[in-house]
Amino acid sequence: MTGYRIPFGGRIDRSRPLTFTFDGQSYEGYAGDTLASALVAAGVTVFGRSFKYHRPRGLVATGVEEPNALISLDRGADRVTPNLRAPQISLYEGLVAKSQNRWPSLKHDVAVLNDVFGAFFPAGFYNKTFMWPRSAWEKLYEPVIRNLAGLGESPVARDPDHYDATYAHCEVLVVGGGIAGMEAALEAAAKGGRVFLIDEQDELGGGALADTTLWATVDDLRARLAAADNVTVLTRTTAFGYYHQNFIGASERLTDHVAPFAAKGAREKLWRIRAGEVVLAQGAIERPLVFNGNDVPGVMLSNAARTLALRYGVAVGRRVVVMAAHDSGWRDALALHALGIDIAAIIDMRTVVPGDLADEVRAAGIPIYPGHAVTAVSGRLAVKGVTFAAYGTGKPHKLACDAVLMAGGWTPSVHLWSHAKGSLEWSDAWGAYLPAKAIENCRVVGACAGAWDLGKGEISSALPNAMSVRKQKAFVDFQNDVKARDIHLAVQEGFRSIEHIKRYTTNGMATDQGKTSNLNALQIASNVLGKPVTDIGLTTFRPPYTPQTFGSLMGHHKDALFQPLRKTVIDDWAVAQGAVFENVSQWRRARYFPKAGEGMDAAVGRECQAVRSSVGIFDASTLGKIEVVGPDAAEFLNRMYTNPWKSLQPGRCRYGLLLREDGFIMDDGVSARIAEDRFHLTTTTGGAPRVLSMMEDYLQTEWADLDVWLTSTTEHWAVIALQGPRARDVIAPLVEGIDLSPKAFPHMAVREGTIAGVPTRLFRVSFTGELGFEINVPASEGQKVWDAIFASGKQYGITPYGTEAMHVLRAEKGYIIVGQDTDGTMTPYDMGLDWAVGKKKADFVGKRSLARPDIVAKGRKQFVGLLTEDPYEVLEEGAQIVVHPDEPVPMTMIGHVTSSYRSTTLGRSIALAVLVDGHARMGETVHIPMPEGVIRAKVTGPVFYDSEGSRLND
Amino acid sequence: MIEIAPLAVSAADIKFGTAPVEGTILGKAVRLSPSQPLVRYSLRAKDIAVLAEALGRKLPEKIGTSLDGIARLGPDEWHALLPAGTGLPLVEGKPLAVIDVSARSVGIVVEGPGAAALIERGCPLDLAQFALGRATRTVFETVEMHLWALAPERYHVDVWRSFAPWLWNSLAEAIV
Amino acid sequence: MILIHCPYCEEDRPEVEFTYGGEAHIARPLDPSALDDREWETFLFVRTNERGLHAERWRHLHGCARFFNAIRDTVTDRFEVTYKTGEPRPDLTATTKAAKAGGKA
Repeated sequence: MTGYRIPFGGRIDRSRPLTFTFDGQSYEGYAGDTLASALVAAGVTVFGRSFKYHRPRGLVATGVEEPNALISLDRGADRVTPNLRAPQISLYEGLVAKSQNRWPSLKHDVAVLNDVFGAFFPAGFYNKTFMWPRSAWEKLYEPVIRNLAGLGESPVARDPDHYDATYAHCEVLVVGGGIAGMEAALEAAAKGGRVFLIDEQDELGGGALADTTLWATVDDLRARLAAADNVTVLTRTTAFGYYHQNFIGASERLTDHVAPFAAKGAREKLWRIRAGEVVLAQGAIERPLVFNGNDVPGVMLSNAARTLALRYGVAVGRRVVVMAAHDSGWRDALALHALGIDIAAIIDMRTVVPGDLADEVRAAGIPIYPGHAVTAVSGRLAVKGVTFAAYGTGKPHKLACDAVLMAGGWTPSVHLWSHAKGSLEWSDAWGAYLPAKAIENCRVVGACAGAWDLGKGEISSALPNAMSVRKQKAFVDFQNDVKARDIHLAVQEGFRSIEHIKRYTTNGMATDQGKTSNLNALQIASNVLGKPVTDIGLTTFRPPYTPQTFGSLMGHHKDALFQPLRKTVIDDWAVAQGAVFENVSQWRRARYFPKAGEGMDAAVGRECQAVRSSVGIFDASTLGKIEVVGPDAAEFLNRMYTNPWKSLQPGRCRYGLLLREDGFIMDDGVSARIAEDRFHLTTTTGGAPRVLSMMEDYLQTEWADLDVWLTSTTEHWAVIALQGPRARDVIAPLVEGIDLSPKAFPHMAVREGTIAGVPTRLFRVSFTGELGFEINVPASEGQKVWDAIFASGKQYGITPYGTEAMHVLRAEKGYIIVGQDTDGTMTPYDMGLDWAVGKKKADFVGKRSLARPDIVAKGRKQFVGLLTEDPYEVLEEGAQIVVHPDEPVPMTMIGHVTSSYRSTTLGRSIALAVLVDGHARMGETVHIPMPEGVIRAKVTGPVFYDSEGSRLND
Repeated sequence: MIEIAPLAVSAADIKFGTAPVEGTILGKAVRLSPSQPLVRYSLRAKDIAVLAEALGRKLPEKIGTSLDGIARLGPDEWHALLPAGTGLPLVEGKPLAVIDVSARSVGIVVEGPGAAALIERGCPLDLAQFALGRATRTVFETVEMHLWALAPERYHVDVWRSFAPWLWNSLAEAIV
Repeated sequence: MILIHCPYCEEDRPEVEFTYGGEAHIARPLDPSALDDREWETFLFVRTNERGLHAERWRHLHGCARFFNAIRDTVTDRFEVTYKTGEPRPDLTATTKAAKAGGKA
């Protein structure tokens, strides 16, 4: 192929030349060019290397169906996009493009040896060869194969671009901006509703852009669309998926067509469109012909050559042969001839061709060879000539040429139609499937409906050839290097369904999803099997229509907006104090507050000591909170929780244990009765939404007769936990309306009053084992109250502590954390929480399950404490526990460590664990095998500190 | 303790807006601003008459509509969004529930010809069909919000406090 | 993303406002203690896993927050009908048969 720029015509802007590079070499093109058209104009023939055999490959198409010219577009180190199709890349000044799948260069590729030994790489080769030994997979086969077979390289740097997204709604959505699509949009617009018209190209017009006689029509339609204020036209936008109820996903490319320095705003925009009616006007894709040598660079679709010439002013060669099975190839030949391109011959496998076309072609002086087929193509990096023969088997003729055009007929583009589960019907006239019955409110117009006159043709499988199919390089799927012989082989090996043939041969996979190959593969399989095409089935088209960037699918969920990070109202203060944070579900919480030079252990030790000896302050705002209000509030809670609630007096608190109906612990928390018909529940931080959801479920669907309502108040209240022997002294000067004396306000009580002038629900509760308060104030006042308490606590050395110290303090007391010490299979008995189960209650959620045979059986894991023999050894959380350390692997594991800390209070390490029949193992020694050696530990009760609870009740 | 990787870059640094953001979206003017301080009540009852009588107010009857600052969110759920200082009686002993949730959420006002487009970036409702007087719970992407159509081209968005920085910035980033 | 008709809001709303709630019409026994282990196991764990019309619970979590029931075709992912909690399961056999007959014709 020796392409060149035709000195006139096309839709390019010849007054704006653009410079760009391809594989480091500089070229020139014009505004309006694609990378493909500019490279062809510059005489480039090789665009890439094939996937398996690394054969040199040229441009085949000028649309998204292009299987070969996959390009990496380099917009800066962190903006490299692999696998873009050259005809879809709009040219801009300074564009940097690279070919893929070659090493060291496009013209000299080492892996081309795959091609020389191609006979050894038939369909299924990888599956059959790289099975054994299994150990070689990970270390040898996979890395080597991956290295050779890559389709471009993924960028490794962070993507600096941002992306937009939106929902949109319209009465009619038209996909495809050719003449049929534009007409459909105008027709819909006239009815007054909102209309969207989506097209993937730079400009509206579709196939008509390659037909100068239709340009005036295109201009007129475009003007009318622009004038209609109820029409939204989105160009450079790909409708990639058609989902239930006319929901369309489309990606608009906003900046990739301009130079990086000029790009402003989001790179792409995801459109999620709900349409009343969808009109598909996706057109048709020309089909290649399968013949020996059809992948030599310079063999391309006939319509691609036409598009290059008429739309971009580029001739694909100086002497062109057309291999046709369809009238459209003849028309393309005439169009090229009119531009002064020498058509060496039209070879047509049909014996009878339309008389009027034949007359025109003869008048143009173009030789015609009806009933002939190309049998070989010479040239490796570019076409040099063709050999052809009558019916492929007659006497061979040779003809010098530099391009071969394939006109194999047309495949209506039914991709989106199929996404929407529309049925298909075989059309003999088209040799393709056409849309039949819609499921959604959808219709098809234009060529994709089979309603467009592209001429007549004859559908064949591979072109006839005297050479055995095994020896031919007759490609069906260019991208996946699937040859006609591979389809033959698959059938011989027993594959009958096209779905299986596809998977065995990889035909129709990867980025092009068989846009050019599916129908040819089907025809060949049909031929070999001797069955009609319709008996072989059709592979299903699934979204996306073309590959989409991750960025486009992510939309605005990127960087800081990736997902919400929930912060409490005390967060700013904690940041100012230099807190180290951790994430707990979506929340971030202060983990510890290191002083200068302090590591985590030192900080946590100091924080714990402050709580045990004086007073610590902790932000507990993330605790889930639910307000339960109504005459039946107590009855409802009595049914939900394991323990009795009706008897709880207003002003008192109770630990609530919540099971799922299967008897396993779901959540826990301390709750208070504020008034006869009003409770204030707390849940774990991560459990808040599911607890509320479960309670709503029971209330709405099982006990709808109860008059009680649940409201999440998690975010209404800021919760300040003040813990330690000095806690009461700190708040005493700030509290009004509440008698703080131990007698009037005992442990597990709640009072309402004010603190620092702010209304409060003051809980006297403790998750540390010390005298403590949890001060609930409206979140809007949280920081103010925190500051007042902190100032008041100065004289007692008030110390902020984080979640890590909170964990240590509660572990010293053996208080469980649901989700850490339990794992969704633990019952109250397993966890030693028998006391929290109301034995006399007739029913509560999960009660019946506590009598299930497996729950009462022996051998369940039970909650215990562990003390390592070496007091400085801190066990690893999650470490497995065994009885006999010398048992050969696999050892009998009897439990695992759930919590483990260094306890400054106790001057040693402590751990909590679940252990088979643990409650009966007190005093036993167990073993924890670790990579560094076996650790010995003694089983104890889970309470390590103040087991009488005297400090709580001070 | 399980170490959890930090959330995405700079998620910790985004803040709720304190000043209006003005500009355009798709060429249409739009303005984003924090709402005036408001009080909020969750109001629950099976019988609308019982609740209306206890509150001494007329309540909207159709789910998804509002009346004088009170929206009917569901069959037994109303939500009041009233100027700061407005008190509602925390009635006891009746088959109803009144819960003060004033501090739970913060409000955002989105107004201008581009207001609907700005909200529809993440809200799947068709706002062309969301007439004046409508009010409902819905979502902006993964975040729940209350959406009120208060006046032509003017929406009030109420969102739980800790989600507000994310929502504010998600809206603001599209204004140019 | 599908649209689901909420029987309380009386309008079609986007799927992202809803959560799935498992099979419908499995009432919690009034007196669980009266059930033997096998009966209780059936209540807890055994579900129909229907291919075709399936009665299931949904919740308009980010809308009216109500649980409701739906008949959804698990083959087509189409909601045939939605109805309020407490209402009996609508009999769709007639309409389905008619639809199938129509499809064949």
